[in-house]
This record gives sequence, structure tokens and C-alpha cells, in this order.
Amino acid sequence: MKQEKYKTDIQSSLEFLSREKLYADHIFNNSRSMISVIDRDYVYVKVNTTFCKALRGMADSIIGKSLSDVWGEETFSKSIKHNIDRCFDGATVKYEASFTTPQAGKRFFEVIFRPFPSDSGKVTHLLAETFDITDLKLTEKIAIEKEEEFKKFETNLPIGFMRCRPDGRIIHGNKAFLLIMDCRSENSLYSANFRDYYAEKGIFDMHVEQLADSKLKSFGRVPLKTCKGKDIVCRISGFMTLDEAGNPSYIDFAFEDSSRELMLENRLLEAQKLETIGSLAGGIAHDFNNILATISGYSELLIEDLPGHSPLSEKVSKIQTAVNKARSLTNQILTFSRQVEQEKVPVSVYEVLRETIGFVKSAAPPSIKIRSNYRDKQKFVFADPTQLFRVFLNLLTNAIQALEDKQGTITVTLAIEEGKKVRGDLNKVIVADEYVLVTLRDTGKGMDQSLLRRIFEPFFTTREVGKGSGLGLSVVHGIVSEMDGSVLVSSEKGKGSVFYIYLPVYSEKARKPALHGRKKKLLFVTGNRHESKILSLGLESAGFEMTQSSEIKHFNKILAETQTRPDIVIYMSDADQIRIDDLVSSFQKYGISPPCIIICDSNQDNPGEKLVNSGIISQQLVKPVSLKEIETAIQLSIKR
Amino acid sequence: MPGILIVEDNRELREMLKESLTRKRFTVQEADNGKDAIIHFKPGVTDLVVTDLIMPEEDGLKVIMTLREIKPSIKVIAISGGGKAGPASYLNMAKALGADAIYYKPFSVNEMIGKIEELLEIEQP
Repeated sequence: MKQEKYKTDIQSSLEFLSREKLYADHIFNNSRSMISVIDRDYVYVKVNTTFCKALRGMADSIIGKSLSDVWGEETFSKSIKHNIDRCFDGATVKYEASFTTPQAGKRFFEVIFRPFPSDSGKVTHLLAETFDITDLKLTEKIAIEKEEEFKKFETNLPIGFMRCRPDGRIIHGNKAFLLIMDCRSENSLYSANFRDYYAEKGIFDMHVEQLADSKLKSFGRVPLKTCKGKDIVCRISGFMTLDEAGNPSYIDFAFEDSSRELMLENRLLEAQKLETIGSLAGGIAHDFNNILATISGYSELLIEDLPGHSPLSEKVSKIQTAVNKARSLTNQILTFSRQVEQEKVPVSVYEVLRETIGFVKSAAPPSIKIRSNYRDKQKFVFADPTQLFRVFLNLLTNAIQALEDKQGTITVTLAIEEGKKVRGDLNKVIVADEYVLVTLRDTGKGMDQSLLRRIFEPFFTTREVGKGSGLGLSVVHGIVSEMDGSVLVSSEKGKGSVFYIYLPVYSEKARKPALHGRKKKLLFVTGNRHESKILSLGLESAGFEMTQSSEIKHFNKILAETQTRPDIVIYMSDADQIRIDDLVSSFQKYGISPPCIIICDSNQDNPGEKLVNSGIISQQLVKPVSLKEIETAIQLSIKR
Repeated sequence: MPGILIVEDNRELREMLKESLTRKRFTVQEADNGKDAIIHFKPGVTDLVVTDLIMPEEDGLKVIMTLREIKPSIKVIAISGGGKAGPASYLNMAKALGADAIYYKPFSVNEMIGKIEELLEIEQP
């Protein structure tokens, strides 16, 4: 009985053991890991099915083999042996390795060696477990690549990107953001609060509030201040990310600097405005000239009607002077609205600029310094030199008036800019490969933005009523635009203003050939050689041979020589060293009577009218005169 | 005396010109726009036309072209107070069309009369 029971116990124990072994084998062989048991001689004593499959061998062919037999001597000694040794010292060793198996080729594995002690506790074997982590590795690699790709994209994105806490503390900003905000490094951002970059901080709070629903929002153009305190305008859009509990976690903002866009828009608006005012003012000037023509004509009739020495003649003459002044005004308006004919010739900007500066220097107080820097002296532009003179004269006069206390410096530079650069700077269609850029910089009182926007408008003036017509800069604008050029201005209150005049370079080097036969000799009698030099430049281009004289001795010397004797004389009314009487007596002395044209200042009473009537002077012109008018006067004088 | 046609839409200016020229014993006809000038043009009477350029109906350029077609020997003086048709100014275009003289308003009427006498080869007394 007792034996029976013993037998049954053993049997059930054996059954139990065999079932346990079955389970163990089943788990051992069905594991996705390669599992082996290795002894201290680095020999496999047991391997599972996965191991065999990976090596494409039967268990019998692997068991009993050393690791160097299976993996090769080099791999074994270099990357396996020392790990096994550490494990036999009692440590669980875990490492990643890549090796090639006959079943799958080169794969990545995680290897774990665990000490496998005997009943006595001595480590006689180790349990090696090797997982294939190739897919994991691959995913990880892709993730890293993607992250790097995104980082690169984000860094080089032309759009500013910035992440901040809902209270505005900045977490991160990309390169474009740093550039837009004028920040030196990303590190300087970490202590910054984005709220402080808003020109109006309340708007930031409003934006955060609007982002609370976690939807992408565009805020349009927002005025911001850069790290350096500069005012800019950015197009901003934002998106708020919430945490798991639904509380605001962080906000991502995207920025596009639209300062330039805004500037160009404003510039376009200004141009359109000036165009509108121009056509309006031009129309008025046109009608006004009709009225002036009537007044002028009737006053001429009136003079005829008056008896010889009527005291009323003088009053009529004053009407005519007033008409001339009004004519000068309408002429300026028409110049602004680009409705005045310009007799354009290739002309050297350098020459005109130099003469204008000379002219201005002679009249400006000595406490004002006018510096010039000519980086080019060769280039020509296609212009009416008298009009170009007006451009520089008006700008220089303005600059002098901007210098308070008659102290300061005006710096004029002339340089050449490439057309492509000009296109970028002005954002307009270019008409030449090169442009002359004249820059006039003063250290005067400067202007604020609201003033700056209006300076080219006709009749806009900051001077007291009666001082200055307010047409100077609008005339500049008209003339420069008519030459397909541009005039820009920048200014800072209290620091001064800079005017930039871009003029397309005239490409045909060939100058106009001389007119028929011998060049006509033209003598300028003048008090200011700079102004007449300007006219000379244009007349030279038109084929005349020019001489100037402002002093009686020199004048007589020119008349004395038949070689230098002029065909035409142009007398400027400011010639104080040579009076009309001198002119007449010198002509009589040498027995000549060349046609004589007088150019009067519109601000003076006209001395010319009587002279024209007396026959000494053949034509009379009133400033501002255009080259065209002088040429017409010359043609008419020669015919007579 | 030679006949002069004044084409000018501004009444005061036209009357002033008429009076000035009548005084010099010219036979003067007037039109206040280009269309009328062309319709009522009398080639046998008119030797010279003084025409404004910017006018209602037909402009001065059309007047110059049509009148020259009808009477090639006609002398033309163009007057303008400024104004542009595209890049070229009206006065420049008038010149290109063969105007014998051009004047910017306001101009000296005596100077213009001198020019008229020169063009019509009238000996000054």
C-alpha cells in the first residue's frame, strides 16, 4: 500500500517535472530573442530555436562550439569576450551591437549577459539573450533625421518663428526671428518676454485671449519694437497648444516683416497722390496761363493806347511784372506736374552739380560747410541742364534753410549704382543699366514722418507765409520724374535729412554734332558764372561755342579780337560789373551789333522791356528760363 | 490785308487777340473750338491761323493737320499754356506737324505780331 503510494508520488512528480520542462522548452524556444547558455570556456551549452534559425543551423551543430567558432575570432575577441568576462565576474552586462546572421544579414541587437549560478552559487555559466532591435534603431534614425531636417528648415525659414509661454516668456526663436527683431543671439531671448516687443503691450494680451480656443489665428500687421528699439511692422499669426488638462501650455508665433512692404505701399500711395495733385494743379496752371495771357495782352494794348510819356505807363509796366511773376509760378506748377517741355541733351551731372555748389557757396553764410565727394565725373544723363540745376539748387537751398543758426554741414556725394541694385532699392522698373546717385545730407533740424510724407506736395511749406512758395521740392520731384529718375528722402528729427536722387545714365556716348557749318560763338555776360555755366553746358551740347565774361576788361578783350568776337550775346541782368550802357558803348567802339538776348530775374522790376523796345536787345527772357526758351530766342534773334 | 483765323476756347484771350490783330488791320475770324475752325475754314480768306492746342471738340493738332491739307501754304502759329499728351508735349507735336512758330502762354502779343508780319512778309512801316 505504502509502496503503491510512493510509486504514485514519484510518478506524479515525474509527470509534474516533465510538464514543467515542456513549458520551459516551449517558452525557451518560442521566444523572439536568441537565447543561449555559455560556459566559462566560451562554449555554447544550450541554444534556443530562434538562435538556431538565425544561424541556420541545428542545435546539435552549435552546441559544443565556441563563440569564436561561431562569430569569428576577431568579432569574439574585440566585442564579445570582455563583456562575457565581466558577466562571469558577477555583473549583468547589457550592450548594443550589430552583427551579421546567415538568416537576416546585418542587424542591430541588444545583448544581455546574465550570470547563471550553479546550486553552490558559483557562476559557472551565463545566460545570453539577444534581441533584434534593427527596426527600433531604424525608427530612431529616421526620427533623428526628421528632427534635424526640421531644425534646418526652421532655422533657414525666411519666416520668423518663435515659441513662448502664455505669459510671453520666450522659449525659442529661429534665425529669421532673431534677424527681424535685431537680436544678437538666441541666448539673449531666453530672458526676454515677447510682450515687451509689442509697441502696445495690451495688444499682446488681446492676442493671447484670442488664441485660447487653440485655433490658428492671423493678426495682420502688428507694430513691434525690435531689441534695439526700432519700430517695425510684422504680419503675425499664432497657435496655442494646450496641455493634457486643457490648460495653455505654449504659443507658436510666425512673423513676416512687412515694414518694407508697408514702406513701398506708402511710397506708391504718395506717388499716386502726387500724380493726382499734379494733374489737378497742372489743369489749374493751364487755365491760369490763359488768364495771364489775356492780362498780358491787354496791358500791351494799354501801353500802345497811352500817350508817349503818360505817368500811367509805369503802372501798366508793374502789371506786366506781376504777370511775369505769376508766369514763373505757373511754370513751376507745370514743372511739378511734368507738363513743361524739357529740351534734353546729354549732360554731365558732375559739371552741373559742381557749378550749382559753386553758385550756392557764393551766397551761403561762411559758417555753413558744403562738402562734396565725386566718385564719378564721367557719366552723362539725358536732361535739360537748367532743370537739373534747379533740382540741385532747390535741394541745396532747402538744406541751408534746414540748418538752424546757420551752422552745420551739407555733404553732397555723387556715385554710380548698378541698375539691378536700384531696381531692388526702389522697387520700380529700371530704364538704364546704371544710375547716377546724388546724395545730399544735411545736419539740420530734420523732419518727422508726418512732415516727410508731404514734402513733395506743391504749396506745402513749413516756412512762414510769404517766405518760399512751397513749390521747390515739388518742382524737384517733377523734373526728376520727367527724367525717369526718382527722388527719395529719409530724415530724423534733430539729426538732419538725406535726399537721394537717382538718374538713369545716358548710354549713347555720341554727343550731338555741331549744327550747320561753323559753330556760332555765344558770349555770356554774367554776374554769376556758375548759373551761366549751366546754360553753357546745354548750349554746348546744342552746338554753340561758349565764352563767359563778367568783367569789362575781359569783355572788351573778347570784342577786340575778330577771332573771338561773338555772334550772339546773352546778357544776364545780374552782371553788375558790366552794365547795359557798357555793352552799348563797347559795341559802338568796335562797330558791331550782334543780336543780344537779356535774361531778367523775375524778382526784379524788368529793365529789359524798354531795352527791347529801343532795339538794343532783341529778345527778353525771364527766369526761370529753359534751354528750349533760350534756343528759340537765339533762333529768332539770328533771323532778325 | 491778310486774313487771320484765331482758334481759342478761352473767350477773353480770343477777344484780346482779335483786338490786337484788328488794330494792325488784319482781317480776323474766330472759332472757339477745333471743330468749328475746320468746318468754317475759308481757304481763300485765311492766310494764317493762330491756334490753341488743348480745346474741346477737335484739338489744335487736328486743326493744323486739316487746314494744312486743305491749304498747304497756310502759316501756323501754335499757342499753349502747357499740357501733355503722353510723353511728348502738345507744343512739340505742333512743331513736328509744321507749326511755323510756337508760344507759351502768357506771351507778348507784340512779339507774336512781329512774328506774324515776318511770316506773312509784311513790311513794317
